[in-house]
This record gives sequence, C-alpha cells and structure tokens, in this order.
Amino acid sequence: MSLLFKDRQHGAEISQISTVQKVMMFFVDHLRQALASLGDLWRTPTASLLTIGVLGLSITLPTTLYVLVKNTEQVSAGWEQAAEISLFLRKDVSQGDIQQLIKRVNLWPEVEKLVHVPSEQALKEFKQLSGFGDALQYLDKNPLPDVLLVTPTEKFAGPQSAARLLDKLRNEREVETGKLDIEWLTRLHGVLTLARELVSLIALLLFLAVVLIIGNTIRLNILNKRSEIQVMKLVGATDAFIQRPFLYTGFWFGLAGGILAWFAVIIICWWMESSIAALTQLYQKDFTLTGLSGSELLVVLGLSVTLGLAGSIISVARHIREIEPT
Amino acid sequence: MIKFEQVSKTYPGGQQALRQVSFHIKPGEMAFLTGHSGAGKSTLLKLISIMERPTVGRVLINGHDLKQITSRQIPYIRRDIGMIFQSHQLLMDKTVFDNVALPLIIEGYSRRETTKKVHAALDMVGLLNKAKNSPVTLSGGEQQRVGIARAVVNRPPLLLADEPTGNLDPKLSMEIIELFENFNQAGVSVFIATHDLGLIARMRYRTLTLKNGQMITDGLTEDWQEDSDEFTV
Repeated sequence: MSLLFKDRQHGAEISQISTVQKVMMFFVDHLRQALASLGDLWRTPTASLLTIGVLGLSITLPTTLYVLVKNTEQVSAGWEQAAEISLFLRKDVSQGDIQQLIKRVNLWPEVEKLVHVPSEQALKEFKQLSGFGDALQYLDKNPLPDVLLVTPTEKFAGPQSAARLLDKLRNEREVETGKLDIEWLTRLHGVLTLARELVSLIALLLFLAVVLIIGNTIRLNILNKRSEIQVMKLVGATDAFIQRPFLYTGFWFGLAGGILAWFAVIIICWWMESSIAALTQLYQKDFTLTGLSGSELLVVLGLSVTLGLAGSIISVARHIREIEPT
Repeated sequence: MIKFEQVSKTYPGGQQALRQVSFHIKPGEMAFLTGHSGAGKSTLLKLISIMERPTVGRVLINGHDLKQITSRQIPYIRRDIGMIFQSHQLLMDKTVFDNVALPLIIEGYSRRETTKKVHAALDMVGLLNKAKNSPVTLSGGEQQRVGIARAVVNRPPLLLADEPTGNLDPKLSMEIIELFENFNQAGVSVFIATHDLGLIARMRYRTLTLKNGQMITDGLTEDWQEDSDEFTV
C-alpha cells in the first residue's frame, strides 16, 4: 500500500499469491530471521556463551531451591497425615452415652478412624509406661478419663482443618476437653511457607537481573548496528521490521539459558542424591530425591524464554526509536 | 510531484536553514538544486524524506501534505522515494546483492521476485557481474552506482540525490547523471542536489539555487547562467 501514490502497488500485492501462500511466506520470513539471529550469536561465541551462562545460572539457583522446598514438603506431607486428636471425656458420662457418642462421631465425614481407650486400660498403660506403677497403687480411684483417639480423613488433616474439627468435637456434650498436637506442625508449616516465600523473592530478584542483563546485551547489539539501522530506516523499514532480529536474539538467549538451567539442575540433583541417601539412611527412612517433573521443566524453559524476550522487548522499545537517520 | 509552500526551517539553537522557500517540481520533471555548502540543500532534501519537519510552511508530495504523515507512516513514505547519498550509505558487511535487495526484503517480496528485480537494477547500473562482491572491493563510482541501484530497485516514482557525484571525477559524474536521465525518461521525477556547477552548466535542466536558506533563482540552466553574477554575490 502506498500512502502517496494510489495506483502504485507494493510487495506482496504485486505478485498475485494466495492467502495460504502469504501465511506461509510470513512463517518462512520469521524462520529466516530467527535463524539469521541465531547465526549472529554463533559468530560471537564468547560473548553469547557468557550471556547464556549468566542467564542459565540465574535460573538454576531458584530452580534448585524450589526442588529443595518441594522435597521437604513431600517428606513432611507424610507426617501431616498422622495428625491425631485426643478427646478426654467427662467423668460423669455413662458408658452408654460414650457408645452413643462413638456411633455419632463415626458418621462424620471428617473422621477416618476412631479408637476408644477406656479409663482402666489407660491406667494400665500408664502404669506400664510411666514407671509410677507403685505410686499409683495408692490412688483410691482411677483419675484418668475415658479417651477417644480421632484420626481425621486426609482432607481434614491439615493444621487448620484439624483444628476446626477439634473445635467441633469439643462442642459435644460428653467431651471435657480435646487436644491436637499440631503446634510443631504449624511451626514446620511456617518455616516451609517462609522458605517458599524466600525462594520466590530470590527468584524474583534474579529474574529481574536476567531481564536487565538481556536488555543491556541487546542494547549493545543495537548500538553496534547503529549505522545499519539508519540505512534500513532510510530505505523504509518500519521499527517492527528492524526490531524483529533483536527480539529473536532475546528468544534464543532465553531458550539456551533455560536448557543450561535444566542440565545444571539435573547435575545438582544427581550430585546431592548420594549425600541425601546417606543422611536418610541414618533415620532408616526410605527417601528418594524428586527432581523436576516434565511440566516443571517446561515451566523453567518457558520462564527463561519469557525473561529473554522481556529483556529484549524493553531494550528494543527504548533504543530502536532513538536511532534516526541524519 | 514536490511542492514547497513558504517553507522555513529553524534548527534548535536558532540557526535558520531555510527561509520561505516555495517551488513546485512537476511529475516526470528532472531538476537540480544547487548552492554553496551550508546554503540549505541538505535540509531541503531532508524535509522531503521527512528526516526533518518544517518549522513553518507546507511540503507536499503528489498533493499529500507531509504534515499529515505520522511518524509510524514515515517508513511507507520513504518506500516511495528513492534516495541516493554522497556517502552511499551501503552496508559494508553485506554483498552488493544484499544491499540492493534490502528495500525489497523490507517490503516482503518473495525470494524469486527479489532476485529478478535486483538483477534488473544491477544490470541498469552496469554492475551485474559484481553482485556477489562486497562494496568495500568496489571503486567510488561503482559504490555510488550500487546506491543508485538500491534507490531504484522497487521503482519509486521519485528519486532524490544528495551530492551523488561529490567524490567522482567529471567523466564518472557524467555517467551517473546519464543514469538519472535514463530513469527520468522512464517517467521518474528526479531531484538532484549538487554544488558541482560545471556539471549543471553542461545540461539544460531546471535549476533551483539556494543562498543562505533563500531560493534566489529558479529556471533553466541558461537563464541561471545569465544571472550567474547573482550567485557569486
């Protein structure tokens, strides 16, 4: 389309080609430019490798921390499900009422399992385990109440929902008091939340650094090609056309950095596996380090490419407009 | 084709490059723009290719006021204007072929068509056998002709040349001007800025003369020669 000369035809209009061919041409053009900017990177291997290295390692660090947090969460997930509520029943309720209560609570959807420990049995156990056996002989009546041990279903085993279940159980007439040993669980959760936030924060800072590094690298590339850009503007290239190879450069940096991060994380996991195995053996626990899943690997790669593109978009938007032919 | 209406250009800092310049170059016309260095020739050409905007007045191409052209539209305007520079403005790390093909690649021509058109343009300037060379290996005159091939490769209706013979000897200069005459005969409007008075003197073309940013003569070479004392004042 010509703005000044109505009857003058341009480019694709002049060669009568079908829409399909036009779409094909579009992709072929982009592919050609993508490969051209890959070739540019290839011609300056040292500079390109340094940039890719910085990018890859900046992504490796938060990814490794993420793997660490993920594994810790997996280990603690096993403990969480063991959350158990102890209910101490009032001493003045009859055995019949207790059986009623057991029947009722068993029907609740939150409850997985319910064990009744009668007071006599509790006393017997206490005698055995506490070592106060002789002293307890002097008691004229059993001071221990009947106890119900309630195991919540998996869905209600988390610290918050378990606490809610405890409150509900406490409201039962027969229950004197209840206890849920979740304090350490809450603490662990707190630590894990903190760790996760810390990882996010570190990741955010490093990602910002990556965007700045890529932005600066692209800026230098643009300044190096200053005279070429001026010539292109003189012969009628739009900013969009001029910036495309630089955007592809950012894309390639991101892709290469992401792949580097993959390998780095895989090597780190492999490296740490043996020492972790040695540690977990001491606890006689079966534990294998879980690396990144397929979708997580894709996320890492996608993130890396996004960061590369973001850096180049910021840089290109600022600097290509500035360069004008004189 | 090109119309200036009372155009003045003042650069930031107060330097007045053009003062109330008016003229009209008709479609298919070939004209020269002359004057001493610093008389405002380059500024005038820059106003046509929208590398600069006028401070006062209107510049029109084919009846379109360039004031209406937004900065996003400028690239499309430049595709209608073939521009030739004294400094060639070639990409030295690309081949002659790639240099000439640049405007076509920007417009999205297919590879086959690009090759065809580039070869035609190089043939016109007599450099078809140098297509694979780097511009660095060419002489000054040949480099200038590569620049001309690039300017005409997508057949623009208007050619602008800023000192196209600046560094060339008279014989090579004449060859370049003859090239422009060929394009002009094919219907292209040609506007050439030069301070090479000897070159203009040998031809009968309309010549516009600038002095201190003002248009002092506008007419055929012969008329201008009669008033030549005016130019030397």
